[in-house]
Amino acid sequence: MASRSGPGGVLHRIRGSAWLFILPALIGLFFLVLYPFAFNIFVSFTNMNTYHIRPCAAIFTSAAGCYSVQSDLFKNYLSVFTDPAFLQIALNTIIWTFANVIPHVTIGLVLAFVLNSKVRGKSIYRMFMIVPWAMPSFITLLIWKEMFNYQYGVINALLAHIGVGAINWLNGGCSSAMLAMIIANVWLGYPFMMIIFSGALQSIPSELYEAASIDGAVGLRQMWHISIPMIRPTIVIGFFLGCIWTFNNFNAAYLITAGGPYAVANGSVFGCSTIFITEAYNLAFPGGGGLANYAVGAAYAFIAFLMLLVPGILWNRSTGLTRRAS
Amino acid sequence: MKNNRDPGRLARKVVSTAIKHVFLILMALISIYPVLYVVALAFSSGESLSTPNFLLGIIPLPTSFTIDHFASILKLQVVTGSNFPVWVRNSALITATTVVGSVALTLPAGYAFSRRSFRGQQVSMFSFLLPTMFPGVITIIPQFLLFASLGLVNTYWAVIIPFIVGSLSLSIFIMKSAFDSIPKEIDEAAMIDGAGELRIFWRMLVPLTLPSIATVGLWSFMGSWLDWALSHVMLSNNSLWTLPLALYDFLEPNYTYYGSFSALSLVMAVPVFVVFMIFQKYLVSGLTAGSVKG
Repeated sequence: MASRSGPGGVLHRIRGSAWLFILPALIGLFFLVLYPFAFNIFVSFTNMNTYHIRPCAAIFTSAAGCYSVQSDLFKNYLSVFTDPAFLQIALNTIIWTFANVIPHVTIGLVLAFVLNSKVRGKSIYRMFMIVPWAMPSFITLLIWKEMFNYQYGVINALLAHIGVGAINWLNGGCSSAMLAMIIANVWLGYPFMMIIFSGALQSIPSELYEAASIDGAVGLRQMWHISIPMIRPTIVIGFFLGCIWTFNNFNAAYLITAGGPYAVANGSVFGCSTIFITEAYNLAFPGGGGLANYAVGAAYAFIAFLMLLVPGILWNRSTGLTRRAS
Repeated sequence: MKNNRDPGRLARKVVSTAIKHVFLILMALISIYPVLYVVALAFSSGESLSTPNFLLGIIPLPTSFTIDHFASILKLQVVTGSNFPVWVRNSALITATTVVGSVALTLPAGYAFSRRSFRGQQVSMFSFLLPTMFPGVITIIPQFLLFASLGLVNTYWAVIIPFIVGSLSLSIFIMKSAFDSIPKEIDEAAMIDGAGELRIFWRMLVPLTLPSIATVGLWSFMGSWLDWALSHVMLSNNSLWTLPLALYDFLEPNYTYYGSFSALSLVMAVPVFVVFMIFQKYLVSGLTAGSVKG
């Protein structure tokens, strides 16, 4: 908790109006984040959908056309957990997160090291490398979707050069759709990691390297014994932040495959490249006049939030962002 | 360096430099490849997707050069009553309001978090961080239901207000660290001279944080100019379509306008790209302040 004594000096004199500065932002946060968050949890226990859209007079008693809390409180969560597609979606989410973040961090780290070593033209190389970050991702993702086109896409054309037959990336098997999505998102994510790792590498005092060279440690040994340990905190933060961003990256998970293609397993239809957040979105906003199942969508969204809590808390701890400036 | 006289060592050095350059050239090519591809498509004639010609077997080139697509996006109507001028107007209105709104909200909040210390500060700072950890969809569903019950779906406000609030969690920390970096002695000296707090804030501190204000503005600009997920839900009315909604529709399977899609993506992306490259330094330091270091 904040201590009651303010910062030193004359700033002691002013007090009390701090909340006025924060209030507008806090009101926005309350009505558009905290209230919807609570409302989302509430909805996940109701039967709200296209046909039950307005609240009933009493929240525990249902009547025609209105939504109320389910008499069987955990009905939506039960239907989520017992749906055979759930395991597939959970597995997809985990694969999606790690298959993205590990390459993000690794490629970012290698690029940061190479660009930090003595090599000609590094500023030009660096400019090229940040293009995936500088280009709006909404647009580059749609371009990737074109690139993965079965008949005319450039990726299959390039594969043909090296004698690999055309792959039906987006409408073929399950694994190719996931792979396409992951390739595009790995491309999107390494520049940010490269940038934060370069920044961390440059802040290592050069005396450390000088001392190490005197002791006879050069090249890879310097990297292993000085650089990596010194930037370890940044790597940890980058990893957690990467997990959060990837898990939450709706555009990357939706724009290329929209969760598809669809397959049947154990009598249940599931999206091959569907993850928690795209499942929640598709349930609530099915499009094409489908039944909007707000309640189950909200349950999926809340489960996604619970899963994110772990990397979220670890990230917050490793950055110390909420600590006050001393 | 006497070591360089050792031929084995010199050879190893040449090889390692060569490996580095090959790796860097390859990564640079991968990094810009989608851009090269969309440029080739935008200048190829015809609306259908076709395999481009290749330079050196890798670099895509237009099949037959034309600039028609850039002229045709001006009049292309995917749906009646919805065309390029309408999309630009909607996008511009929404984005401008969002940028002004998020700067107006984050400036005072960042100031208070940096300069004041008060009961509940930690808790309220943490609550601004929460949205970073929220899956976006956890708020999209209830926000849609909230705006629907207020009758605000299919109005500009249905996206502007969430955009402003959505940009807060990062922006407030960017502003906080900007104010943190200004020595407190400046405030104290001005206060001894008799200046009031608001005057110090507005006349002395705000001008010093202009680069961070630009970062916050840019951040909310990028979040709103190119949003698709929320806009898709909130703005179903064709006359309210923004540029990203139109662009997405170009790729609908029933009628694909690949040529126009490519031209419009360049028209939309290039300004953002240029602004990003110019302000790169501020964006990087702002973003690391808001997400990597405390």
